[in-house]
Amino acid sequence: MDELLPASRVTPDDPAGPPGPDGVPVSAVPTPLVALVGPPNSGKTTLFNQLTGLRQKVANYPGVTVEKHVGRVKLGGGRELDLVDLPGVHGFSARTLDERVTKNVLEGKVPGIRSPDALVLIVDSTRLENQLMLVEPVLEIGLPTLLVLNMSDELEERGGRVDDGPLATRLGVEIVRTSARTGQGVEAVRAYLESVEAVPGGVEPVERNLTNVKAGTALPVVDAFAARRRLVREVVDEAGFVPPGPSAMSERLDALFLHRFLGPLVFLAVVLLVFQSIFTWAVPLMDAIDLMIVTSGEWLATTLPDSWFRSLLVDGVWAGVGSVIIFLPQILILFLFLGILEDSGYMARAAVIADRMMYRVGLQGRAFLPLLSGYACAVPAILAARTIDDERDRLATIFVTPFMTCSARLPVYALLIAAFIPDEPLLGPVVGKRAAVLLGLYGLGIVAAVGTAFLLKRTLLKARPTSFLMELPPYRIPAPRTLALRLLDRSKIFLRRAGRVIFAVTVVLWTLTQFPRSEGGAPEMDESALGRIGHVIEPVIEPLGFDWRIGVGLVTSLAAREVIVGTLGTIYGVETADEDPEALQELLRRDLEPGAAVGLLVFFAFALQCMSTVAVMRRESGGWKWPALQFTYMLLLGYAGAFVAYRVF
Amino acid sequence: MQALPVVEKLVPDPVRELRLGDIPLRQEVELVSIDLPADQAEPLLERGVLPGCRICPVRSSPGGDPIVSIDGSLLALRRETAACLCVRILSSLQDVA
Repeated sequence: MDELLPASRVTPDDPAGPPGPDGVPVSAVPTPLVALVGPPNSGKTTLFNQLTGLRQKVANYPGVTVEKHVGRVKLGGGRELDLVDLPGVHGFSARTLDERVTKNVLEGKVPGIRSPDALVLIVDSTRLENQLMLVEPVLEIGLPTLLVLNMSDELEERGGRVDDGPLATRLGVEIVRTSARTGQGVEAVRAYLESVEAVPGGVEPVERNLTNVKAGTALPVVDAFAARRRLVREVVDEAGFVPPGPSAMSERLDALFLHRFLGPLVFLAVVLLVFQSIFTWAVPLMDAIDLMIVTSGEWLATTLPDSWFRSLLVDGVWAGVGSVIIFLPQILILFLFLGILEDSGYMARAAVIADRMMYRVGLQGRAFLPLLSGYACAVPAILAARTIDDERDRLATIFVTPFMTCSARLPVYALLIAAFIPDEPLLGPVVGKRAAVLLGLYGLGIVAAVGTAFLLKRTLLKARPTSFLMELPPYRIPAPRTLALRLLDRSKIFLRRAGRVIFAVTVVLWTLTQFPRSEGGAPEMDESALGRIGHVIEPVIEPLGFDWRIGVGLVTSLAAREVIVGTLGTIYGVETADEDPEALQELLRRDLEPGAAVGLLVFFAFALQCMSTVAVMRRESGGWKWPALQFTYMLLLGYAGAFVAYRVF
Repeated sequence: MQALPVVEKLVPDPVRELRLGDIPLRQEVELVSIDLPADQAEPLLERGVLPGCRICPVRSSPGGDPIVSIDGSLLALRRETAACLCVRILSSLQDVA
């Protein structure tokens, strides 16, 4: 969030800059900024990746969690240029966060980003009429603009045609044809970028007020659009645009994916495949990472002299940060799948199939992607919800997303199930009691999410039914480069989070176990600050059958759910839970009644034991109101659920 | 007190009766008007769903919602939305084409 654009770091008195082509030191002139604009699915990001490669940074726009993708393009003569990839939009009504950000950047109203010096408008030329609806408002900004007709190879393959000459003359812009996927035409875009000059001090603040309606029009909205549509029609007619024939492949795939019976089956198969990949294929990778962390931790423990520093580093930081890094394979596999599903065009179809079900509980089809992502981690899932155009739908979605059984719950479930549920067959040899309990916990999460959404949309987020519109882009083969760069982004963001939040939390926890000092060393857990906190909350959790040890675990797992496993290990004097899981299970069986163990499972299914989620909720909902409500609601639900479970079992 | 019935559902207006939702697959129609409040109509307008445009239902989603073709793009709507789009059938000559 605090990262500014490279451009804003250029200071006029920077002496290190090499001389530019005209002898002026490059650093005296700000790096030009070009904004990449276009409708969703026009190939914007693919072109962006072709132009910038690895020289890109992902950060958030100030105040919102919309990601800001800025990359540096190397031009001839040592010159450089910054390119910002704006979220895809259909217009400038600023209904969604994405639209608001795009509008603000184009209007030069985002602090830390200079006003763009030029624009590149990219459109899918196979759907030219539809895509050119953006051309009028974008040209109205009055900046030098390049129009990129992307996917022009596909247009011609399917028998379509467009004449750039009249199009360029009529619109008064330069035109380049590309196929961003194969890289054809990208050099021509680069050549255009060569011509962009930074306006020193930024483009003067022209009163730019992008709206869907021309400034000063008193006409109803419909007329403004009708005028825009007429302009587009005239333009494409002059350019001799012949729309491409139907894509036989897209039609055939839709016949399957949107088939009355086969469609939902394929949908189910895709969901199961994503699950399978998260929970089985990721395991060897996770084991490898775990082994690396444990081995390196042991190595550190034997290498460093015995001191408080070693204890902090090995027991605190190494174990704590390691417990989060271990989820990296799952998150990467999830994002690889989601990336393939999105870039291929299937995700839009999945959203359409999901919409009917979602609509019944008060959500909409676009909620499907965040909810599915929630099975890996609620944090990226909540971010994924920003494509939901209706604010109430979005809030309801991000409110219920943490009920999805995220992978951080799994270590907790695994420990308690292994300790308390006998490994016996339940339904034949395939479904055992343990698997049934695990499935039941997943089901519990879904029921809670559905019930909560239903409740919310009838109370706090009550609204008249909104419309759901989903453009179904033609099916395309995802570009490996785009997928790879996205995965790289995700890992960086995830590791940064693990590095900052979890690091801080583990240090605090470790410190609490070390004080007050007794006889110059660490106190007994019972006597430590952490143990005392456990005792303070013991009366509250006693009705659930939990003792102070579980209480400490509940407090520490506020940072992240899986932390309770390590905490219990520490409390029971087991060095790490990995070394002798049997011992920890044995001790748990001694202290916890079976009913209380089920209660603890239910508590973890419901309660929002994750500070990262709370933090991201605050940013996404723009305040503390929603995360506070969500935290309290989920905590009460968890408490009530655990209470009931303790009485019943 | 009983809420008043929604007018357009009960009183058949001979001119505006035909809605996009009533149109069979592959029958191209012209949009006459959008019977939705402005904030809900705007996303439609941005995507070129404007009075005068031609829409053709091409498929039905497994949930029974229409998927229409407009300006060479495929757009999925809810049937509730389709029921608010007033359309008229183009003359038979154009239908053949």
